[in-house]
Amino acid sequence: MSCPFEEDLTAYVDAELPSTRRAEVEAHLRGCAGCQGTEALLRRTLARLAELPEPVPSTATRRAVLEKVEALPPPLLERLRALLRPSVLVPAVGLAAMAGLALYATAPREPILEEADAGTLELAMNLEVVEDYDVVGMDDGEDLEVIAHLHELEVR
Amino acid sequence: MSVEADSDAQMMVKVAAGDRQAFAVLFDRYHASVSRFALRFVGDRERAEELTQDIFVKLYRNAKGYRPTAKFKTFLFRVASNHCLNEVRRGEYRVAHATTSETEEDGGGPELVGGEGDRPDQALAGRELERAVGEALKAMSERERAAFTMCRFEGMAYRDIAEALEASEAAVKSLIHRATLAVARKVEELQAGPVPGRSRA
Repeated sequence: MSCPFEEDLTAYVDAELPSTRRAEVEAHLRGCAGCQGTEALLRRTLARLAELPEPVPSTATRRAVLEKVEALPPPLLERLRALLRPSVLVPAVGLAAMAGLALYATAPREPILEEADAGTLELAMNLEVVEDYDVVGMDDGEDLEVIAHLHELEVR
Repeated sequence: MSVEADSDAQMMVKVAAGDRQAFAVLFDRYHASVSRFALRFVGDRERAEELTQDIFVKLYRNAKGYRPTAKFKTFLFRVASNHCLNEVRRGEYRVAHATTSETEEDGGGPELVGGEGDRPDQALAGRELERAVGEALKAMSERERAAFTMCRFEGMAYRDIAEALEASEAAVKSLIHRATLAVARKVEELQAGPVPGRSRA
């Protein structure tokens, strides 16, 4: 029903078509009464739209917007920068250091290696052997037997 | 020298750095455009006022997202159209353009407009035209309305509208064509009908 060129008529009137397409539309318009009518309708309408009275924006908006912007919380980066100012940073670091020291002094001590029992130390020293045992597979009776007689091999 | 002389892009860079004076200058430059867009989009003065305020606050908050290589007006209208489309979709705002000529006799009237012409016949013609355009705007899709408003009332190029609406230029061409034809038909209906002197009794 509608002409395939009709879709381009508004863009044509708005001078938004590329030059080649514009030339095609112009050529088409010379022979298509339907499109000529639509083009005339579009042009009449655009002329009438220019007659619409201009809305007057509210004068109170400026103050309202500037107040809202003023009330916005500062962005995260700005807040971080404020925290990094020397007047804030130095006392904060001092307080943190003191709190850290206090915690260190009062915290219960973990047992350190020297205080561990002799069995644990021996196990640690022979960890390789334990691991070897683990590699051959402690569940296998035949392996266990070989391991049990290893000293005989060393003697020979 | 003064902030007034800076380009919009330079001003926006200052706004991104927290310069509120630069923001005030941009507000003054674009207040009329944004409020006109909001008013045409939603069709009601009070709602348009709220939308306008929200759009500018959003612009300030999103200033860091602006790249000076882009046109400022396109960025602004991307913020504006996103906000208006979201608000209308969320049901916050119903489009309230003038409806039929009979129902708008009292009170409501063409609330959309500020001036009405000097002579009574001009004022009446202006109101009738406004009503026809309002009806057409109300009947079209939100994206058609946004594209039409940016094109017809802000004089934006299709390419910029496409960027603002995050759509292709072909899609925008189609939106503007459909919207303009819809308005054209409403205006023609208005011209074809009996304009003054409706008899009521």
